[in-house]
Amino acid sequence: MTLADDASLVDVAFAACTALERAGETAVLCGGSAAAYYVPDLYRSLDIDFVPHVQAARHIVDRALASIGYARERAGPYVHARLPYAIELPMGPLAIGREYVASWRTDRRGDLLLHVYAATDVVRDRFLHYWAWGDPMGLDVALAVARAHASDVDLEAFRRWTERERAADPTYDGGRVEQFFRLL
Amino acid sequence: MRDDLRPALFGTALRDRVLIRLALSENGLHLRELARQLDASPTAIYRIIMALERAGVVVSRPIGKIRVVLLNRRWHGALELRSLLARLAASYPEVRERAARSRERPRRIGKPL
Repeated sequence: MTLADDASLVDVAFAACTALERAGETAVLCGGSAAAYYVPDLYRSLDIDFVPHVQAARHIVDRALASIGYARERAGPYVHARLPYAIELPMGPLAIGREYVASWRTDRRGDLLLHVYAATDVVRDRFLHYWAWGDPMGLDVALAVARAHASDVDLEAFRRWTERERAADPTYDGGRVEQFFRLL
Repeated sequence: MRDDLRPALFGTALRDRVLIRLALSENGLHLRELARQLDASPTAIYRIIMALERAGVVVSRPIGKIRVVLLNRRWHGALELRSLLARLAASYPEVRERAARSRERPRRIGKPL
C-alpha cells in the first residue's frame, strides 16, 4: 500500500490501522490524533497514536508499518520519508484515567478500516488532559468534540465517569467538571 | 549503590529509588536534581526516566527551559502505585530524608533559607 505525498492524518491512520489488522494486530487510534479525527478543522496533530488492544510483537508491527512506508526510529516513533506524521504505539492497556476502554468505533473506507475511540471517550480523554495537568488545550478540544458530535457524546456517562474518578482520587477538582458543562 | 542489599522491586535499586523519590514529590523534579538527590549519574537517571515514560508511568513537562519529571496521575494504576511507593519509602530512609530537606513550596526571593 503506497501513501500519496499529500496523504492526510486520516489517510495515514486508515492505512496503518488496516496494515496492523491484516498482520493480526488490532490497534485503536487514541489521544490527540483521535481528537483530530473527530474535529479535523479545529484540531491538528502530527502524532498518530495507536494503542494495540493486546500487546503486539515488535517485529510484526515493524513489518506491517513498513508495508505503508513507515520505519521505526531508534527507540522512537515510526516515521515516513515524505510525510510529516509520526506513528507511535504507546503501551496499553487502553485506559482513560482508572477505567479501561473495552469497546471502540470502527469506521470503513473501501477496504480500509480504522478503529478509533468513540466520541465520548475522546471527550473523556481530552478532558482528562486538562483535569490532570491543567492543559487548557485539552479542555478546548474536549468541548469541540462534544459540540461537534453532540448526538454521539453521552454527557451523562461522562459525568458519571468524572464522579467515579473523583471518588477514587478526591484531589481532582470538581470545579473543572462544572466548568466543562458551563462552557459546553 | 551496587552493594545495595534491598530487593529491587522495579528491576533495579536505582529505579526503585527514582520512583519512590517521584512519589514523594508533588510538583515533580528536574532530571539533574533527581540525579543529585539520588547520588546517581544524570545519564543513568535519563535512561530510567525514558523507560518509565514509554511505559506511561511518568511524564515530563517543560517549565521554562527545563523539563520536570513527575508520576503520571493519568496512568491507570497511578493511585495504587503511589500508595505502594509510599510504603516502600520506609525501606529507603535516605531518599525520604533528602526529599524532606528539598523544598518544593514557594519562597520569596531573597528570604534566607
